[in-house]
Amino acid sequence: LPAGLSQWFPALEVLDVSGTGLAELGAELLGLSQLHTLLAKNNRLGGPGSLPKGLGQAPLARSLRVLNLSGNRFAEVPPALLELHGLQSLSLGGNRLHSIPPEIQELRSLEFLYLGGNFITSIPPELANLPFLNYLVLCDNKIQSVPPQLAQLHSLRSLSLHNNLLTYLPREILNLVHLEELSLRGNPLVVRFVRDLTYNPPSLQELAGRTIKTRNVPYAPSDLPENLVRYLSLASNCPNPKCGGVYFDSCVRQIKFVDFCGKYRLPLMHYLCSPECSSPCSSASQSSTSQSESDSEDEASVAARRMQKVLLG
Amino acid sequence: TEQPVQTEMWKAQSLEELIRILHRIFAEDKVSVEEVQELMESYESNPEEWLQYAKFDQYRYTRNLVDNGNGKFNLMILCWGEGHGSSIHDHTDSDCFMKILQGNLKETLFEWPEKKGNGEMTKKSERVLRENQCAYINDSIGLHRVENISHTESAVSLHLYSPPFDSCNTFDQRTGHKHKVKMTFYSKFGERTVCVSTREHT
Repeated sequence: LPAGLSQWFPALEVLDVSGTGLAELGAELLGLSQLHTLLAKNNRLGGPGSLPKGLGQAPLARSLRVLNLSGNRFAEVPPALLELHGLQSLSLGGNRLHSIPPEIQELRSLEFLYLGGNFITSIPPELANLPFLNYLVLCDNKIQSVPPQLAQLHSLRSLSLHNNLLTYLPREILNLVHLEELSLRGNPLVVRFVRDLTYNPPSLQELAGRTIKTRNVPYAPSDLPENLVRYLSLASNCPNPKCGGVYFDSCVRQIKFVDFCGKYRLPLMHYLCSPECSSPCSSASQSSTSQSESDSEDEASVAARRMQKVLLG
Repeated sequence: TEQPVQTEMWKAQSLEELIRILHRIFAEDKVSVEEVQELMESYESNPEEWLQYAKFDQYRYTRNLVDNGNGKFNLMILCWGEGHGSSIHDHTDSDCFMKILQGNLKETLFEWPEKKGNGEMTKKSERVLRENQCAYINDSIGLHRVENISHTESAVSLHLYSPPFDSCNTFDQRTGHKHKVKMTFYSKFGERTVCVSTREHT
């Protein structure tokens, strides 16, 4: 691009350099203080230096709202991009990304994130720290699991996960109160109840820790070695709201099927403190899906009212 | 001079002309599928002529009514953002033509599920439709899913349904179970409809 770009067109608001074969976006863009939309699809961007040095401090970084880098060759999200704190819409569809950096959470203004058509294998929980995200596209990747923290994306309205490698979803997905669209087709979702797999029995240390926590056995730092004091501070509450138990490292994974919208049965992964976790809801020793647990059912019917379109098949 | 035979093929030079010819064809008692398909394909997409109907939605594909064919057919434009796709659906005993105006759409054909079916639906075939191509389907041919599989380009398609219908069945690929849905328009005749429906589209 011509070096004088920002002097000749200081009021430029939209720039489309898609399909021009560019291998880098240069410093000539940095001075475009009114540019809110930059479209650079289908180019040869992706190598080091694809984005100009000093981007984070430039006038461009304050004005840019929409950035489309789809159809390029990015193998990782360029760090400079994460300095665009005003960015509302980012597309990196059809690149060569293998992961999403946890620093994605620095794009605090992000509402629209398109990452479909890459080679992403997992979702960092930090993605859930984007407070305004309402459209998240992760279709056509290699994602094997969805972190439960994603349920903290309270403003999410549409989540696209089709054509990945998911076998189940975290039960917390029911907490996405504004979710209207969820696409899950083309995933090897478990369709039948899967008897829980390996359950590693808790260690003696864990059993002792659980007893101390659940029975509120008092202790002071002077009573115990420092490492045990630290260990006790790491107790997690059993995710089952009806169970008052805690666990440290050992918990049971169990898949339960929840009716969505009265149409589809989604396999949701539940974590419990033990196979005997006391509540109507669970036991790895029971087998059938007919235990549509009361708590899961309540949650599901609430979710059903919100969920307008679950594309499963 | 002799009257041209019924099978003479039309060429539509503009969207307006396409609509005019469609009205003439559908005024007759019998309509030939081949004639309509050839006509639709003959129209060379010109964005200036349809841009006013092409209203995109960020979250899903949109259906934008162009002409209601004096009740004989519905002509509409569908706008597909990157990654947008439909459910597997049927066509409520109607003839359906789908012409690509911009971009590409993947059409996957499925067999009707068995009555007692409780297994994965059977894929018959799939193809990618290119600009200006026109596909045809009806319930006797099967069911299909249409999707924009591009992560970089949006797509626009022109659909003709005769007779018009406003509900259809969507199907769960994993089980063959069907579910009736009402279909709505995102815009009509170029004007955004304030839609209060919260029902699925296909």
